[in-house]
Amino acid sequence: MDAKDILGLPKTQLPITQEKKSRPQKEPQRKPDGISREVYALTGGLAPLMPSIDVSQLKKRPPSDEKITWQWLSFTNSARKDDLQLYHWVRVVNGIPPTGDYSFAKYNKSVDVVKYTDEEYEKYLTDPMWTKEETDQLFDLCERFDLRFIVIADRFPSSRTVEELKDRYYSVSRAILIARAPSPGDVSGHPLVKEPYNIAQEVERKRALSMVLSQTKQQERKDAEVLAEAKRITVSRMAAQAAEEPELPVAPNVGLESADRAVVLGDTVSPSPNGQLPSAAIVPSTSIMDDSASTLASLRMLRVYLRTYALEQMVQAASSSAGLRTIKRVEQTLQDLGVNLKPRVPTKAVCAEHLELRKEILTLLNLQKQLQYKEAEGSSYRDGSYIDMPGTPKRSQRAGDQDRTFVPDSISFGGERVGKRDQKRKGPGRLSEAPSSPAHKRPRKMKASDL
Amino acid sequence: MINSSSSKKHDPDQPEVSGPAPKLLRTKMSKPEDTEKKNLNKKLKDVEISVPIVYGNIAFWLGKKASEYQSHKWTVYVRGATNEDLGAVIKRAVFQLHSSFSNPTRVVESPPFELSESGWGEFEIAITLYFHSDVCDKPLNLYHHLKLYPEDESGPKSTKKPVVVESYDELVFPEPSESFLARAQNHPAITFPRLPAGLTLPPPVPTEDASKKKRGDTKDHPLGQCFMNFSEADELLQLAAARQQVQTHIAKLKRQISMVDGQQQQLRSTSDQ
Repeated sequence: MDAKDILGLPKTQLPITQEKKSRPQKEPQRKPDGISREVYALTGGLAPLMPSIDVSQLKKRPPSDEKITWQWLSFTNSARKDDLQLYHWVRVVNGIPPTGDYSFAKYNKSVDVVKYTDEEYEKYLTDPMWTKEETDQLFDLCERFDLRFIVIADRFPSSRTVEELKDRYYSVSRAILIARAPSPGDVSGHPLVKEPYNIAQEVERKRALSMVLSQTKQQERKDAEVLAEAKRITVSRMAAQAAEEPELPVAPNVGLESADRAVVLGDTVSPSPNGQLPSAAIVPSTSIMDDSASTLASLRMLRVYLRTYALEQMVQAASSSAGLRTIKRVEQTLQDLGVNLKPRVPTKAVCAEHLELRKEILTLLNLQKQLQYKEAEGSSYRDGSYIDMPGTPKRSQRAGDQDRTFVPDSISFGGERVGKRDQKRKGPGRLSEAPSSPAHKRPRKMKASDL
Repeated sequence: MINSSSSKKHDPDQPEVSGPAPKLLRTKMSKPEDTEKKNLNKKLKDVEISVPIVYGNIAFWLGKKASEYQSHKWTVYVRGATNEDLGAVIKRAVFQLHSSFSNPTRVVESPPFELSESGWGEFEIAITLYFHSDVCDKPLNLYHHLKLYPEDESGPKSTKKPVVVESYDELVFPEPSESFLARAQNHPAITFPRLPAGLTLPPPVPTEDASKKKRGDTKDHPLGQCFMNFSEADELLQLAAARQQVQTHIAKLKRQISMVDGQQQQLRSTSDQ
């Protein structure tokens, strides 16, 4: 009994074998043998970061003439000065223990710190900022901590910055090196001579770095905003220039750019539609003028174009101030009015009329929004339960609430009328998007019969 | 009408023209003529010439003669919207067919710009229009999706009734050269622009006698009865009706808004007391 029995399907093996055949093709990187599936899954199928021993080597049997034993043997480390004897397990082949130095001794590297005599100090190394005692201390610590200047600065008795310590150390080493060399040419290739330590640059570098690292997220966001705004201004200036001087060879995609901007603008405007103040309806009209002028200018650059293309560009420019939702509602309204979204006979006159109609529908939708807003505002006055103080400036408060939190309509407005209307409009899929924006109070679409 | 009447005086052979061109002429023949010759290649601002075109295809099912790979005979074309000759504007049209056709790039060097083929599949045809040198040095692309099968497949297939798909559009030439403008003046295929005041044009170039020339128009086209009609007036009427509806609604909304405003004013004054 399996799923096939339940579904009453014939018990053919065909689809399964097909599946099996197709799978290895889809997955060219197969799991290598010798690694369990669970472990391999942890790597996510990626190549390992470090080269590992090939798995085939792991499975290989050792040559039969070798007899391998492991023995607990003593060893000395040449990197130590105290001849301490320690023990470890050693792989012994055919009874002969390995000879030679301890294999990790070579990693015990030490820095050659320059030593200077008192004479040399008097002759070359005097510095008004440093006493001999301090310099001696510095060189002791440098030797002890292998030039780990952070640690040295921490242990240094008087307070000196890391940069000051580095500067003193490298300048002393350099001076000694040059002084001891038979001629300046012999040491000119030495890294200490060739690239002197620049304390001023280091201090500045660290200051800049700490500034960048200590920047808050808010500051970063502010910077990004300023840059975006600057870009927007240059784009609109270019568009305006193109409109003024159409003979300048401006790229024909100015129209496209302004269209892109339109989409961005639309998105940022749309989240606050029912807080839209009456004045907001007036503002876009000027930008429409700008956009259509720049669109016309960029069309002229093309030398030849299709009327339908021009209409598309103009429609985009005209709806630049509206959000995507609003644009969709304009198109819905056009359909409800029985008007083709794209005119069938796009002559100049038809296109002009079509554009005008679209603009009028935009105005209509704006007015609808306004009326709704005002009605809601009025009903909250009537209800009185929402506001404690009758004199509270309602409008600004609502606008302020917009970006912060979503407040369900029925609470924020307390208006019965609005609430009921909302109920009716609720369609499938409505609830899921409701919390994301307070915009859902707007009617979904306007029917031609409403007009 | 001064210009059109004077042009007839200059050139009595000028064929009678129909269409909207003469109606729009608002020029005065007042400026001295020597300046005009210099300006022949000058671009004219604020003037735009448009050429109404229709492009599309007509497809016939071959019926009994249909084979697996040759089920339809079709013609794709670019024609003047009123079937006028487009040869004055378009120099050549290049039809880019599906790569499965032999020589898929087909060049038509003279009007009428059309191409007939047979096949079984629908695909997008790119039509590149090249213009005469004084018209525009840039080509323009049109895209037409070849249609062979009717929308409702339920109806009986017929060899008599073709599938016709056409789109109306206009080629727009902003800032045309003066020589193109002069040629366009009395051309039936071209919508002549409203000229800005004070602008004058050289007398129209005499066009060749229509009878001598090879005919490029599609007025007596064998498939002419299939061509669709594109009525600007219908479209304008529809738009006007829609605009009126919207305007009435706007007025109504404005009244409602002012009413609500008035009520609130009252409420506010009462609640403040």
